[in-house]
Amino acid sequence: MEDNKENSQENATEKNEDRESTIENNTSEENKTNPNETKIKLPKIKLNFSGMKKIYEGQYKKLLIIPFMLLLIAILLIGLKAAATGDFINRDVSLKGGVTVTIPTEQKIDILQLEDIISKKFPKNDVSTKSLSQFGTQVGVIIDVDIGEEHREEHREEQIGILIEEIGKVLNRKLTTKDYSVEVIGSSLGASFFREVVTALLIAFLLMAIVVFLYFRTLVPSGAVILAALSDILITLSIVNLLDIKLSTAGIAAFLMLIGYSVDTNILLSTRVLKRKEGTDMERIYGALKTGITMSLTTLIAMTAALIFTQSEIIKQIMIILLIGLLVDLINTWIQNVGILRLYLERKARKAIQ
Amino acid sequence: MNVKIKKIFTNVRVIILLVFLVLAVAAINPRPGIEGVVIRNIITNSSAAEAGIQQPPPTAKPVSRERILEIDNRPINSVADYYNYIDTLEPNQSVQIKTNKALYRLTTRQNIEIIELNETVKKTIEEIITINETINGTVVEKNKTIKRQIDVPKTKKISKGTEDIGVRVFNAPTTNIRKGLDLQGGTRVLLQPETSLLQQDLSSLIDTIEERLNVYGLSDLVIRDASDLTGNQYILVEIAGATEEEIRTLLAKQGKFEAKIANKTVFVGGKDITFVCRSADCAGIDPNAGCSSSQGQNFCRFRFSISITPEAAQKHADATKDLDVIENNGKYLSEPLELYLDDTKVRELNIGAGLKGSATTDIQISGSGTGFSQQEAVINAMGDMKRLQTILITGSLPVKLNIVKIDAISPLLGEEFLKNAMMVGLITLISVGIVIFVRYRKLQVAIPMVSISISEVIILLGIAALIGWNIDLAAVAGIIIAVGTGIDHQIIIADETLRGRGIIYDWKQRIKNAFFIIMASYFTVFVALIPLVFAGAGLLKGFAITTILGASIGVFISRPVFARVIEILLRE
Repeated sequence: MEDNKENSQENATEKNEDRESTIENNTSEENKTNPNETKIKLPKIKLNFSGMKKIYEGQYKKLLIIPFMLLLIAILLIGLKAAATGDFINRDVSLKGGVTVTIPTEQKIDILQLEDIISKKFPKNDVSTKSLSQFGTQVGVIIDVDIGEEHREEHREEQIGILIEEIGKVLNRKLTTKDYSVEVIGSSLGASFFREVVTALLIAFLLMAIVVFLYFRTLVPSGAVILAALSDILITLSIVNLLDIKLSTAGIAAFLMLIGYSVDTNILLSTRVLKRKEGTDMERIYGALKTGITMSLTTLIAMTAALIFTQSEIIKQIMIILLIGLLVDLINTWIQNVGILRLYLERKARKAIQ
Repeated sequence: MNVKIKKIFTNVRVIILLVFLVLAVAAINPRPGIEGVVIRNIITNSSAAEAGIQQPPPTAKPVSRERILEIDNRPINSVADYYNYIDTLEPNQSVQIKTNKALYRLTTRQNIEIIELNETVKKTIEEIITINETINGTVVEKNKTIKRQIDVPKTKKISKGTEDIGVRVFNAPTTNIRKGLDLQGGTRVLLQPETSLLQQDLSSLIDTIEERLNVYGLSDLVIRDASDLTGNQYILVEIAGATEEEIRTLLAKQGKFEAKIANKTVFVGGKDITFVCRSADCAGIDPNAGCSSSQGQNFCRFRFSISITPEAAQKHADATKDLDVIENNGKYLSEPLELYLDDTKVRELNIGAGLKGSATTDIQISGSGTGFSQQEAVINAMGDMKRLQTILITGSLPVKLNIVKIDAISPLLGEEFLKNAMMVGLITLISVGIVIFVRYRKLQVAIPMVSISISEVIILLGIAALIGWNIDLAAVAGIIIAVGTGIDHQIIIADETLRGRGIIYDWKQRIKNAFFIIMASYFTVFVALIPLVFAGAGLLKGFAITTILGASIGVFISRPVFARVIEILLRE
């Protein structure tokens, strides 16, 4: 994608210079003329780039297989997961109930060993430990235990006491309330939060689809934008599952944000291609590509920086999901949506000729 | 260039942005060199409360809160300064506290502790009920008590230094931006009423909770009702600087207090009680019983007196008039007075025979605390007493509340997160600036883009400070995302205007083109986040509102400015 971007940038600027010489032809002929154009410019650009460009411009129908295959695999993976575990995501304690203990400490802690010790103490529960890190060094530990599934409240308190004591033993000191943060969430609330945020996600998606449709008022282009957003969410979700990330409420909020971000580049593309008159279709696609890649790149870099430097699990999870989502969106916007738009324009042109 | 700069700063849109910026800065009210420590809480009945230092209202703007500047002419500039000096105070010393509002004088008290010696003595103790009887308006004290000999460890009263003067402080905030709980430490509890309530009942419930917490001595708190998409009701309580355990015991208990004789209710907490003694002369560790220990466990008894209404006193008279008098180490009535808390019997008090059929209004309540050491037992006894007093004063909650979520954030972690969040913000902004510069190779594009993003953040924080919105971690994530979309939109503007300059469209048309795309993306972000405002007890409301607000500020205030600035700088 990186290579492609540079290539397109150079190319787009060159095209801008000799815009007057290009003829406006949004007809099906364009696909044949464009590769020819590249040939003329060959000496200026490295060969492998032009090869890629040739494929990107000429083989867009075949390229469409990539995003659709990805979407299919994603749906399959999510379906398999739902069938195997009864849940289409890995929920963390904030969505299924339990306890999170965060201890900021300079002490070096082997989190695997810690997890082992706590798992032995809580054999029936799901225990997971993470290290709280900044610049890659450990500055604390986070322990999640899904205590309280079927227990009463008093029982839960007792369990939390045991948990903290146990952690204290590993750290070789008695922990007081100042030393740690504890978050407790009841299992029924966790389940209801999960339903709530998923409902919010569905409503958000629906509202987004309505806005997009009102904006373009034609079925295929608005459908393409909506499909791209849907693919983004599903593919990202399956990758998140593959990476075994446990989703929190904040994580689902990140999926909401992904809707917003992915629609941005798609709307940019569709507007430029459908509502502008200058240049050929391909030129307008390249123009949009240049802007879109810059947008994604700034966001990606900002998110990577935030991901590396933040200590907060909330921010970390939002950023990692957006990061994966934006990378997925590059494929869905610049291959899937571009392909569909070009097919659409081609058909429209053919109809116009008839 | 000078002409262009002049043109920029005389542009109406730029001026509007600058006005917003100035207003935002005024709302944030940064005071980098602010002096003193801010009063968070005043403990009831403490020497500070006696001296007239006011409990700050929780709605007070951070910067306008009362600050302690000097104690005994020593400057106090940090929490450490404050505690270091307070620790040196001697009992009965007079102290002068200078705040930014007034000068207070108070006298420290002695903190008396009973310590246990290594020998035992025979001690005669008296049972607890001491009931005053009102006959024809005059109070006659009837000491119907049994005397019993027990072995107790020999104790000695020693002065354990000075009693806390009762002021809780925190470092003076340098801005009016309220930090959310996860950035400053504290406890957040999400409560769910056992049965669903009407709106008016819900608000009276919230009032009772607030009163209960205030009576307990916690004032820096936020209580609000919340609901979710399926209509579940919740109450969210956020308290800075309180421990999780205190809140749990105060809120998870309905606090239904009943005193019964032979299963008939005589009085209940709240409405039947006219006065609860909380001063040292009639509340505290019981001087007659003191503390004792057996098998490694220590027990301390507390007692305090309360007054009940004449109606309740009459009920007492009715309930006792037909009881028999029995002989059991003294003369007592056949049925004891039983105290129930949330339907669990917590105490049984024998009633002196002399009180048969009398309408007594003064009653002494007692209880005990246990612990592994005597000190622990005293602390527990006093803690129990304070909670019981609180419940008796405020009465019971109309419905039992279940704690469905509790977050206790350590203040240390909160501070870490804040520093970290600020650093992350700076790093992301710098990295975005670099990418923009590499892409456009023009400072005329990169500088306005980055400075407009910064001004968006400032305006956003200004609005947050103005409406008292808490900036928590989720809101920080919202700010990062709002800035991200802001940069995206500015890239669209820059590209639309820079592309094939002047060939096809004029400037106006180009900016119109850019805004067509920007508005579409704004509307999608807006509608995507609206459901989140209402979902899940509003716990992600901060995130949703911050992002929506940030995007709106961008689209309506700062993006038009960027378009105009770019136009002025780049148009030939």
